[in-house]
Amino acid sequence: MSELPFGPPVRVSPLIRFGRWSFLATGILYGAFHQNRLSKREEKLREIEAKEKIVRDEKLKKEKAIAAAAEIKALEEMVAPKK
Amino acid sequence: MAGAVAKIPSLISSGLTAARPKFNIFMKYARVELAPPKLSEIPQIKAGIGKLLTSAKTGAWKNQTVKQASLNVLVGAEVIFWFYVGECIGKRHIVGYNV
Repeated sequence: MSELPFGPPVRVSPLIRFGRWSFLATGILYGAFHQNRLSKREEKLREIEAKEKIVRDEKLKKEKAIAAAAEIKALEEMVAPKK
Repeated sequence: MAGAVAKIPSLISSGLTAARPKFNIFMKYARVELAPPKLSEIPQIKAGIGKLLTSAKTGAWKNQTVKQASLNVLVGAEVIFWFYVGECIGKRHIVGYNV
């Protein structure tokens, strides 16, 4: 048989073929289901993070302002020391 | 550089013409060996499952040669790997979950 160089195709047992296709189908379903579940969970985490980010940014801003004021004060002391 | 880029389409087309006969051979085998089970094969599948169960119950699965056992393990692993292929299709991403 010139068109089939590796001999006639093997008769794979129906059980094996059934197993392959059913595992493929369950895998597709499981992947879609798990993807859905994980993305919902991540969505919630992102919301919480966004809320926390506002609070954290506020805090960082205040700390920065305090640090800048202290630095300016120290520089002024250096330039014009008290007599 | 420009010459190499200009050669790409002809390379692709010659690669395709070279691969086509091999792909046709692959398809001829796959049509038979990878075909989904037919409805008429359900009794055979049932018998196969029954055989697996009885050999698990009676401990007949311990009575095989190392060669047979390793072949069975490989076939079982191949069948289970189809689950992971399906998972990759279901989550629409190859590595990990893209959330």
